[in-house]
Amino acid sequence: MASLRDAEDFLAHALSRIAPHTSYAEVMAERSVGHTLRIDKSQTSVGVEPRMEGAVFRAWGGHGWREAASSGLDAASLTRCAEALVRHLPAESKSIPPPGVSATGDAERKTDSKRPLESFGVEERLALARDLYTIALSPGGIDNAFVTFGSSAEERLFLSTAGARRWQLIDRTRGTVVPLAMENGKVEYDYLSFGAMGGWEVLDELTEARILETAHEAKLLLQAGSAPTGAMTVLLDPQTAGTFAHESFGHGTEADQLLRDRSYLKPLLGQMVGPEFLTLVDDGSYPGGWGSIYFDDEGHPAQRTVLVDHGRFVEALHDRESAAAFHRSATGNTRRADFLSRPFVRMTNTFVEPGDWSLEELLEEAKNGIFLQTCMSGIEDPLGGQMQIKVKKARLIHNGELGAIGPSMALSGKVLDFLKGIKGIGKADVFSIGPGYCGKGHTDLIPAGTGGSYLLSEALVGPA
Amino acid sequence: MSDPTFGAESAFRAADLVRKSSLPGPWDIYGEKIERYEVHFNGNVREMVRAPVLLEGVGLRVIRPFEQKLGVGFAATTDASAASMAKAVEDAEATARYSRFPAAGAQLPSDPPHAEAVDSVDRAAWAAPLDSVEAYVHALLTAFEGRSGIVPSFGSVHLTLAEATLANSAGLAHHASRTTVDLEVAVKAFGGAEGRPPGEYWVTSRSVRLDPRGLPELVDAWCQRAKDVRIAKAPSAGDQTVVLPPRVLTDILPEILSYRLSGSAELRGIAPKPGEMIGAPTISIWDDGRFPYALGTSAVDDEGNPQSKRPLVTNGAAHATLYDVLHASAAGRTSTGSGLREALAYPSWEHFSSPPHPVATTMVLSTGDVGSDAELAEVAGEGIWVDQLGYAFPDPLSAAFGGEIRIGYRIHHGKIAEPLRGGTVGGVVVSGQGEKSLLNSLLAAGKHPELTAHLSCPTLVVGQMSVGGAD
Repeated sequence: MASLRDAEDFLAHALSRIAPHTSYAEVMAERSVGHTLRIDKSQTSVGVEPRMEGAVFRAWGGHGWREAASSGLDAASLTRCAEALVRHLPAESKSIPPPGVSATGDAERKTDSKRPLESFGVEERLALARDLYTIALSPGGIDNAFVTFGSSAEERLFLSTAGARRWQLIDRTRGTVVPLAMENGKVEYDYLSFGAMGGWEVLDELTEARILETAHEAKLLLQAGSAPTGAMTVLLDPQTAGTFAHESFGHGTEADQLLRDRSYLKPLLGQMVGPEFLTLVDDGSYPGGWGSIYFDDEGHPAQRTVLVDHGRFVEALHDRESAAAFHRSATGNTRRADFLSRPFVRMTNTFVEPGDWSLEELLEEAKNGIFLQTCMSGIEDPLGGQMQIKVKKARLIHNGELGAIGPSMALSGKVLDFLKGIKGIGKADVFSIGPGYCGKGHTDLIPAGTGGSYLLSEALVGPA
Repeated sequence: MSDPTFGAESAFRAADLVRKSSLPGPWDIYGEKIERYEVHFNGNVREMVRAPVLLEGVGLRVIRPFEQKLGVGFAATTDASAASMAKAVEDAEATARYSRFPAAGAQLPSDPPHAEAVDSVDRAAWAAPLDSVEAYVHALLTAFEGRSGIVPSFGSVHLTLAEATLANSAGLAHHASRTTVDLEVAVKAFGGAEGRPPGEYWVTSRSVRLDPRGLPELVDAWCQRAKDVRIAKAPSAGDQTVVLPPRVLTDILPEILSYRLSGSAELRGIAPKPGEMIGAPTISIWDDGRFPYALGTSAVDDEGNPQSKRPLVTNGAAHATLYDVLHASAAGRTSTGSGLREALAYPSWEHFSSPPHPVATTMVLSTGDVGSDAELAEVAGEGIWVDQLGYAFPDPLSAAFGGEIRIGYRIHHGKIAEPLRGGTVGGVVVSGQGEKSLLNSLLAAGKHPELTAHLSCPTLVVGQMSVGGAD
């Protein structure tokens, strides 16, 4: 099969088997391919991503959704899957309409990569990886380095009984360099990663200067002392600020959690939650964003949604069901990890809009505190409103000057206290959207971009 | 008793196609047919029922000699048709031409594997999958009935039934089945005259049986913790004695130790040398691939080598390393039956899409001599009983971990006292020479082990762990 469009007749036929039994049904078919490459001192792994393809059918069951999915895209498999779904549909499926507004119309979009995946051969990829590996080891004192490239082409076709048809093909590319330093059984590393919607041009961001700095930091981390602990002034680098926007605040704006009364932000809709210079955004249409999509998995177009506008929490992220419940419009944020996973309200690219402070001004304002760098991960607490973010390294700020490097640390505390404590946001010249994977809890991982500029506030810090 | 089956035999069918194409060995094919059943709920409302979710796929690995090394190629697909398998062969051979693994040869096991059968399949769930999930959800929600100010605000039960088949160029043809149960429940405590914000205790677990026995007692404990969240305060900062129960350790130890004690880490000079002290002399650790009804338990690993109980750390000293076929060859050893396709971090429910690598199954820690929770608190004296971390962020490379305390309890004068929440606790599991670590700072261990996901261990009392909290 060259394209999912080759299976469109089969998909439409299977959907037509469900239509008589429900007030609304849809199918999302998916096909993904990709390449991976990883080298280090001991091993070279060149791989193709698993060729996964299949379809998931969803039908309104009168009081909830019913789904069935199958990895087969042949007519027989799709029909069997549709019939299995029909068997589980309650009697009221036909008489009760689904909540919200169904997408309609026909649209197609695909990534326009400058250097498409198929234009870059294995030899070229390997040569580039070896060059980057050599750069990472060049400072001396670096024992090994992992250089990893990954690319994927993800094709999705959405059809519904309301007449919607959406086809999209999204290319994503990511590159990572991890230099390792070792001494007396201790292992440390620093981490450099770029990823975006697009082709191999994304890897141009892995510059020699950035890799050398990362390698230098890995060596310094080997000598780092213990992490400071306690409540203090914290300055977040752009990626850590973005992870705060996503994990700590963004998850609480996913309106399926509002419907479940499972968000600390629900009673705060319309209220000031931060300073007037704070604006937080989720934007699935951000050009080239790692988390960008053209359409969500209910067929709605991706869009820019301002969550916090000049300090005020003004909007949540909606699927059709929550939009209906809160008298809003769907925001194009209904996403499935793949055809095997259920849809949830999910973020796309979530970021803090840049402010007007330079790094020097923020350090001076901080006076004493800690600068948290190279965000590794974070986790949400949608009801409790606590934050937890891990960074790979940190630097003490003493009298407005950056000090020695410190080890990996975790940021915690109450999100609302952190928001209210924001003293300044960095300028646009360092703004970036970085690549990450977001789970709803610990599962259903999807590509999600996070970004921002520097962010100065107060929080608890400790080891991680 | 033989394992239940869907009769798909995906790997056997794919292997027949590959044999007809005269593909030279060594190669192996791992195939799966999977059925998944899910119920998602919000209070007593069924948000979504997914039944069935069907997935069938195969992963083909080829191993080719190149200049004193091996070229290892891999391709996986959900389409096991003749045309698709021909493409998989082409992709695997193409990637093998460029991949390099530092071993001169690889010995794949032949049929039949000399391993005793081990039963780890939930047969009742296989017989009536959706009914079993519905019955479990009913029992779970029933356990919440009659409680004031407590609801399960969100949750889901996922039952995954997988028929796995394995074939290779040495003639192996093996079949096994597995059951995986994923549970997620967010327990919310709310209301009351005091006007406090609601509190949540968020539980996720993975096991191999859909067994509703014991749910009422579990729900009692979850509800109490959700209530305690509402009145909890941040801990004080500084180095403190910390008590870590199995449900916390299961997010820390397996992922870090599975890598650090593997052939993969050994290849990169990161694994401890045999005899090197990496823990207190009271600690011994095994990896048990035949642990009763545990994740990863099976007669043979995903390459067809027999599973066993493998000593990894004996009296605090590194003892042995986990090997799959390739890493064993690189080290001049034999496979320890640790070639698995499952990742401990973010595990996927299908295994065919990944090639095997050395990984632990069920890590078993030696028990101590302290009996009850009260006695463990008495040993700690002053410190923190950590009940749940938001996420422990285990880092296999640096061996560091650390996370926010979602709920814990202060230990004061040897007694479990008021609830704590917020702040962080962390450190390293194994360290460089002379530095403190979780394993070498052990003060005491409980008598009673508990199986949680990939770990069977007692509660541990660890001295002088770094806590980030309120000043």
